[in-house]
Amino acid sequence: MIFINETVASLRQKLDKKEISARELTQSYLDEISKTDVNLDSFVTVCTETALKQAESAQKKIDGGQALPLTGIPLAIKDNICTEGVLTTCASKMLDNFIPPYSATVIEKLSAQDAVFLGKTSMDEFAMGSTTQTAFRKKTKNPYDTEKVPGGSSGGSAAAVSAGLCAASLGSDTGGSIRQPSSFCGVTGLKPTYSRVSRYGLIAFASSLDQIGPIARSAEDCGIILNAISGFDPHDGTSSKKSPEDFTAKIGAGVKGLKIGIPKEFFSDAVDTEVKEAVLKAAETYKSMGAELVDCSLPSLKFAVAAYYLISSAEAASNLARFDGIKYGHRSEKGATFNELVKNSRSEGFGREVKRRIMLGNYALSSGYYDAYYGKAMALKQRFREEYKAIFEQCDFIITPTAPNTAFRMDDNITDPAKVYLADICTVTVNIASLPAITTTCGYDKTGMPIGMSLVGNMWNEAQIIGACDAFEKTFTKISPKGGR
Amino acid sequence: MDIQTFENVAELGKLTFSEEERGTLLADMNEIVLIMDTVKDVDITYDPILDNRNRYLDSLREDISAPSFETEKILSNAKASDGCFTVPKVVE
Repeated sequence: MIFINETVASLRQKLDKKEISARELTQSYLDEISKTDVNLDSFVTVCTETALKQAESAQKKIDGGQALPLTGIPLAIKDNICTEGVLTTCASKMLDNFIPPYSATVIEKLSAQDAVFLGKTSMDEFAMGSTTQTAFRKKTKNPYDTEKVPGGSSGGSAAAVSAGLCAASLGSDTGGSIRQPSSFCGVTGLKPTYSRVSRYGLIAFASSLDQIGPIARSAEDCGIILNAISGFDPHDGTSSKKSPEDFTAKIGAGVKGLKIGIPKEFFSDAVDTEVKEAVLKAAETYKSMGAELVDCSLPSLKFAVAAYYLISSAEAASNLARFDGIKYGHRSEKGATFNELVKNSRSEGFGREVKRRIMLGNYALSSGYYDAYYGKAMALKQRFREEYKAIFEQCDFIITPTAPNTAFRMDDNITDPAKVYLADICTVTVNIASLPAITTTCGYDKTGMPIGMSLVGNMWNEAQIIGACDAFEKTFTKISPKGGR
Repeated sequence: MDIQTFENVAELGKLTFSEEERGTLLADMNEIVLIMDTVKDVDITYDPILDNRNRYLDSLREDISAPSFETEKILSNAKASDGCFTVPKVVE
C-alpha cells in the first residue's frame, strides 16, 4: 500500500479508527523505501527493526486510548540531528561512523509522542549546499525527475516526503535548507522563528541562523509537528521561554481582511518568469479570498547573499573547528605530531564545499578583513531587521518565490559555487532576520517541476502563516510525482 | 585573494591542499570574494547596542550539578582510546 497522498492528519484518523495498525503503516513505508529508494537515495540509514518496535509500542498507546497527534506516525529525520545509538553522518566522511551518545531534544519530544523513526535522510555535507549533491554517500534525486536535484540541504527529507516514503520529516534551515528543497520536491516546509525549536543535538553549521523544522504534505501537518517539537529547552541557551501555543489554531480561518505584502525586489529579472507568474497568481487567489495585496520593499535584498555567506561561513569556521579527529569523527592514519594529525584528519574528512566555507569564514574573520566583511555583514543583519520591521507595520505577512527557479539537472550550475550561492537570494534574509516562513507548491513549470511560494511572517507568527498557507492549499490541486517508481 | 593569504587562511582552518586542489580552490575563492565584496559598498556600521537591545536570550540557567555522560559512552566514537582520548606526543 502506498501512502503518497496521506497527510499526518489523515493517517491519525486511520490509526485511531483502527483502519490500519501502526505496524502495518510502518511496514508499508519500509516496503516502499526498500522498493524505490534505490532510485532516489533519500535515506542514509533505514531503521527497520527499531521502527517496527516503536510501532508496536505506539499501537499499545492507540489501543489504550492514549494516542497523541504523532503516535504511530512514521517520520524521517535529517542526518544532522543526533539520534542516540543510530548512525548520524551529516552526509560527511568526517562523521561516516559517528553514533551519537545522546538524542537531540526534538527526537526526545517526538519519542514522547511515540512517533516512529523510519531512518535518517541524506543532505548536503554539514548542511552546506542547495542540491544534496555534496553528500559523501547518498546524492539524492528529485522524485519528479530523477535526473534533477531535490534541492538542499534537506534534500533527502524533502524527497522522502514527496515520494511517499514517510508521512513527514524533519529538516534544518540555515539559509533556506528546508524551504528550497520543499519547493523543488513539491511539498510543504516550515522554517520556524529562530529559537522556537531547540537546537540541542543539531550538529551546528551557523548557530545564529540554524533552526530545525518540519517538511510535510500540508501546512496543517507542519503545525502538528511544530506543536510537538517547539518549546523551551534548558540544554539550548538560545531557546525561547515563550509559552506553548497551538500552531494549527488558524487552520480553516481563511485570509479575509489580512494584508499580504508583495516585496518588489523578490520579483526581479533574476527570478524565472514562470516562477514569478505562478507566485503572483497565488497572490491573486488570496485577493479573491478577501485578502488585500500591498506593495512593499526590502531595498537591501541585493546585499543578502553576501551578508548571509559571510555570517554563516564565519560561524561555520568556528563551529567546525571542533572536528579534530581526536574525540570523534574521521582520524587520519597519518600524522606524527598533534598538528599534523589534526590537519590530515580535517583535510581527509571534509569535502570540497565544507573546505570552501571554512576558508571563506576564516578569511572574513581574519585580521585586516574583519571590519570590511564580517562587520559589514553584521551591520546588514541589523538593516534587514529594520526593513522587515517596516514591512510588518504595513502587512500581516509577505509572499515571495521560494527559489528563483525550479529544480535543475544534476549537471547544471552545481560546479560553479558562485552561481549556486546567488540562487539563495529568496530565502536567506528570513534566517538573517530570525523570521518564520513556510513554503508550499503554487504551480508547475512547463517540464512539470513544482514551483514553490513562501509566506514570511513576523517573529512568532507561525500560526498565521500556517493558516494562510492552508487556505491556499485547499484551493490548489497537486500533481503527485512518479517518486522514482 | 593571493596565494599568501590563501595559505594563511588554510593554516587558520587547519587544512592542507594538494597543488591541484589549491589551484581550483583559489580560483573558486576569488570568484566568491567578488560577491562578498559587494558589502563593502554599503555605508553602514554595526551597532552592538542595537543588537543587545533586541536580545531575547535573557537568562542563563542555574549553576546546579547534574548527571553527566558515562565515560565509556563519550569515548565510544574515539578511534584511539584506552580509557581516555589519545593524541600524538606533544611534549618533547
